[in-house]
Amino acid sequence: MQRISVTVSLNGSTLQFQEQAYRRLELYMAEASRALEGDPDQQEILGDLERAVADQCTRRMSPQQAVVTLAELEPALDEIGPVQVPGAAAAAAQTMREPTRTLQQVSEGAVISGVCQGLARYFGLDVTLLRIFAVLLVLLSGGGMILVYLALMLLLPYAPLEPGGQPIRRIPAKCREWVELLRAKLNLATG
Amino acid sequence: MVVESKLAPIRKGLLEFLVLKIVGSRSVYVPDILRRLAGTEFATQEGTLYPLLSKLRRENLVLYEWQESDVGPPRKYYRLTEAGQAQLTALDEYWSRINRTIADMGH
Repeated sequence: MQRISVTVSLNGSTLQFQEQAYRRLELYMAEASRALEGDPDQQEILGDLERAVADQCTRRMSPQQAVVTLAELEPALDEIGPVQVPGAAAAAAQTMREPTRTLQQVSEGAVISGVCQGLARYFGLDVTLLRIFAVLLVLLSGGGMILVYLALMLLLPYAPLEPGGQPIRRIPAKCREWVELLRAKLNLATG
Repeated sequence: MVVESKLAPIRKGLLEFLVLKIVGSRSVYVPDILRRLAGTEFATQEGTLYPLLSKLRRENLVLYEWQESDVGPPRKYYRLTEAGQAQLTALDEYWSRINRTIADMGH
């Protein structure tokens, strides 16, 4: 059994979304919401973006088409672009140059979610050595270390992606997507 | 490419000035602004423009009103406030001054 489409209300327009496309939209809105954290007009801008998504998707659909799929949504989101708060770009560039002394996961070049890379960067260790050590610990702990990894994966923030950095493999990308979606949902639930 | 990246922060900072200029010429909605900037050095996207317009509105430089459209829901049309008009004039003058300074330098 499978849900075929989801009815989505986008600030005045109601559209049918294919399940996969809906999840992609949910992720975009969660990222937008986070980027606008602390902006007094956060809700209004999110509304503007919903309206833009509805416009862009409708424009890309054929007249007989009833359901928005990824084929319309992806180019629509590309055209709308990621949310950039005025003045934040300069601030982000500033912090990127300073070595981060916070423990973060690093998606670029990660194998699973980037926990080992984050630990290696934080403690100044060789990541390969750390990975071998981690695998040994998993074997020796009878799998208990897997829980520790999962906990770190859920708790450690992700380092911001470097523009033009190396591409992220499929699994780390999925992990990041999944964790961020989960966090966004928890955020919503706790208000 | 090197030249473009050297002036990237300046381009970013000038976007606000250009948006004020576009909004100052007539009442516009966001796709008008995007179209006006597309193909220039200042091409931008809705994800950047909406937060910027919100900031300008909070600073009381622009305001918007809802206008019905023939297709789809009503749209936000932006125009300058008096304060926005004054700031645009001041920015224009300052920008000309900077340009003169640059042109005169090295002679």
